[in-house]
Amino acid sequence: MSKIIKLSNFPESLQELGIEELQRILDAALASGGDFADIYVEYRYAQSVYLEEGLIKETTEHRRLGAGIRVIHGDTSGFAYTNNLDTKSLLDAARTASAIVRMQAGNYSANLSSSFPKTTYYDFKKPGFLAPLKDKMILVRRAEAAAHEYDTRIEKVQVSLADSMQWTLIANSEGIFTGDARPQMRLSASTIAVDGEQRHSGHGSGGGRIGITHFEKKHTPEMIAREAAEEAITLINAIDAKAGMQPIVLSSKHSGVMIHEAVGHPLEGDSHWKKTAVLAPYWQKMVASPLVTIIDDPGMQGYRGSINIDDEGCPARRVTLIDKGRFTGHLHDRISAKKLNAAPNGHGRRDGYHSLPVPRMTNTFLKPGEADEESIIKSVKNGFYAHSYQGGMVQNSGKFTFSINLGWLIEDGRLTSPVKNATLIGHNLDILKQIEMVGQDIDWFLGTCGKEGQSIAVTAGTPTLKITGMTVGGQ
Amino acid sequence: MIADKFKTLVEKTLALGKKLGADEMEAAISDRHEFSVEILNGEIDKLVDAGGRSLSFEIIIDKKTASASTSDLSWDTIESMVRSAIERASLASSDPFAGLPDTFANPEKIPDLDIYDNSIAGISAETKIDAATQVESICLANPDIGNSHGSSYFTIHGDSLLANSKGFIAQYPVSLVGNGIYLQAGEGTGLVDEGWYDRARHLEDLWSPERIAQKAMKRATRLVGGKKIKTQRVPVIFEPSMTATLLGYLARCISGDAIYQKRSFLAGMLGDAIAVKNFTIQDNPHIKRGPGSRPWDGEGSPTRPIPIVKNGYLMNYLLDTYAARKLDLTTTGHASGVSNFYLEPGERTPEEIIGSMKKGLLLTGMLGQGFNPITGDISRGAFGLWIEDGQIIHPVSEVTISGNLGEMLNNIQYIANDSEMRQSISGPTIQIAEMTISGT
Repeated sequence: MSKIIKLSNFPESLQELGIEELQRILDAALASGGDFADIYVEYRYAQSVYLEEGLIKETTEHRRLGAGIRVIHGDTSGFAYTNNLDTKSLLDAARTASAIVRMQAGNYSANLSSSFPKTTYYDFKKPGFLAPLKDKMILVRRAEAAAHEYDTRIEKVQVSLADSMQWTLIANSEGIFTGDARPQMRLSASTIAVDGEQRHSGHGSGGGRIGITHFEKKHTPEMIAREAAEEAITLINAIDAKAGMQPIVLSSKHSGVMIHEAVGHPLEGDSHWKKTAVLAPYWQKMVASPLVTIIDDPGMQGYRGSINIDDEGCPARRVTLIDKGRFTGHLHDRISAKKLNAAPNGHGRRDGYHSLPVPRMTNTFLKPGEADEESIIKSVKNGFYAHSYQGGMVQNSGKFTFSINLGWLIEDGRLTSPVKNATLIGHNLDILKQIEMVGQDIDWFLGTCGKEGQSIAVTAGTPTLKITGMTVGGQ
Repeated sequence: MIADKFKTLVEKTLALGKKLGADEMEAAISDRHEFSVEILNGEIDKLVDAGGRSLSFEIIIDKKTASASTSDLSWDTIESMVRSAIERASLASSDPFAGLPDTFANPEKIPDLDIYDNSIAGISAETKIDAATQVESICLANPDIGNSHGSSYFTIHGDSLLANSKGFIAQYPVSLVGNGIYLQAGEGTGLVDEGWYDRARHLEDLWSPERIAQKAMKRATRLVGGKKIKTQRVPVIFEPSMTATLLGYLARCISGDAIYQKRSFLAGMLGDAIAVKNFTIQDNPHIKRGPGSRPWDGEGSPTRPIPIVKNGYLMNYLLDTYAARKLDLTTTGHASGVSNFYLEPGERTPEEIIGSMKKGLLLTGMLGQGFNPITGDISRGAFGLWIEDGQIIHPVSEVTISGNLGEMLNNIQYIANDSEMRQSISGPTIQIAEMTISGT
């Protein structure tokens, strides 16, 4: 499923920005000197349908148009943006961005050549922005009905269907002129189950860089709603976690969060050149169990975190971060690649035209291994099984947590009681070495990752994993 | 001031909606400028200097709602978005509670909030760069500080204008200035990431670079050498920033939409005792220069000081017009969340509270998510200082803290007198009788 990304398919306001206009802006950006300049133009179109208490309560439409201009001089980035794409506004922004340069005059003259991606990792069949609102409402209603149908104790159901289309144009002083057209769609269901005094919530979602047809067979609204309903119903009988250090089994369902926090963020290049990353001194050394291979792959067809090119115009490449326990790769943006003397690998991402690029993840996963799920659980006498998550967080120091929505008690190698309200905490240098068993299965967590105030779409995947010991917070 | 051309654009948007059949309509425009500079190891790492604006609107036809926003302000785009909103509204469900408020603030009669400092737009880039550089250089001169994640200085100033089909049209400007740094201390698996940021509506209220640096350094260095502790139940002292996190959870649990959807353990508890007797919270939008002060809320409803919890009793939810109608109550002017939401201070000093603690944790930081508003359960990664016989013994790291908000509010032993309103949610040091700390 590939299709060439063509400028002629972009919104008119972007098409009007021809090569000559962009060259003029870049010339202005470097008119007083500087090593590098780029312009990032974005048009984003987003829609949503929201259902609550049986009502299609609201539909929304959001549009975002703007251009960000960056000038890099030595170690300094100057940045300005504007919502107006007329020549005067863009030239003003270019001059503002170049104010960081204190030299007299530059002698730069841009010479752009077009290099749009030839193939795409996105599924363009019926992207959300072209699908009729009525069809989206049908999906939302189907999810609502399926959640209620799952169990009469499901009292409240919220469903939202959000889709967006983002067109970008990127031109830089090294002659690159490229762009991307990224669809994104997500159907989310949230339920509340009530039984006597017990009230619990459950969540389910599906989507990616796909069209509306994705929800016909692959991941139906019914599947998503049932997942949300099952979680809430299971929590009715859940007990508090047993506090303290214990063996952990991470389910394949959502545990990619751990990989994202414990390995992904700590291997983003910016914290390495700034030398604030705890893993920085371990380049090419063993940092994890030999069972652990961790990859970031922007090229997974239709996945939520996939990108053809990054937001600096660099083709996005697959990076092996950890190879059989050895630390072998960083995620780079342009600046971190240069600082660490490495080739850029297409991981400089931005929230939008108003943000500067920083090194970010795309689809990050731990490669499946040999063990089967059952034998992993069986191998634990008493411990904790993590099923689904609210999210996670990590510090540069390497300490990370993730918050569990639903877990299970493991007793004598079997899952016995559901567990609510637990947090796991650990240090990545310790935990990565304690991954004892790696399952054959793999599943994905669909996430929105926040860093420096910028939100971007990612996924994180993992097989079932066994960790020797980790602190579980509970009662 | 919002330029006349934008005001005209809002009026034109409302007129088009009306012409196309909107029963009610609201439109707003914001125009803001931001400047920020990040200093890393004495050099400018990033400097952002830019302005942006966006228009948003909501259309109601037959009690059916559609909303939209755009930063593309060309009339062609706006016109097509209004047309599409009219069509989208027709496809939504009719909701008897939908619609604009019944009464609005009178822009002529609002208290002087003093939330705009006109000197902020004029601070030179050099002054801002110098202030950020100073914070970092003070910190890096300290041998106990290993590294800087960067110091940053920012200013934001702008206006927002709100108008609707019932004749409300008004605007007000706001300004904000901030400076701070994030640091690293310690080494190996004992690295500590900590820092401090200060922010104010007026430049003259912003902490000096020296004071910010001292606070950030203290927060980082005091945690170096942190140890895991045994799993146990002990009393926990919350520093003011941690109390604010707890109050933020409480605010989530009394927000109108959480109440009518019963996504809160406090749904149906209005008028009930939910906390200890000396626990009193106000939400006061009219504090001069207050970080959350505002003359009206996001729907144009009047704002006023509201008692939230009085002597332990829940007095008010945080309501916008929709939630108020659903609950058969009156809006409290909270269409844009809390304003200045603060816990009234008590008598003791934080030193007295620490000094009287036999064994327990002084909580200084939390990591991760881990709050469930439906049950009130809290479970998060925690950092702090271990206290025995009134003395700080050693830092604590890599543990988790758990409890239940409903129970914790009834187990507050002490409320200190050290409040400072630097954020829209604020409170003093407090001590909770017992929580579970999970470690080894």
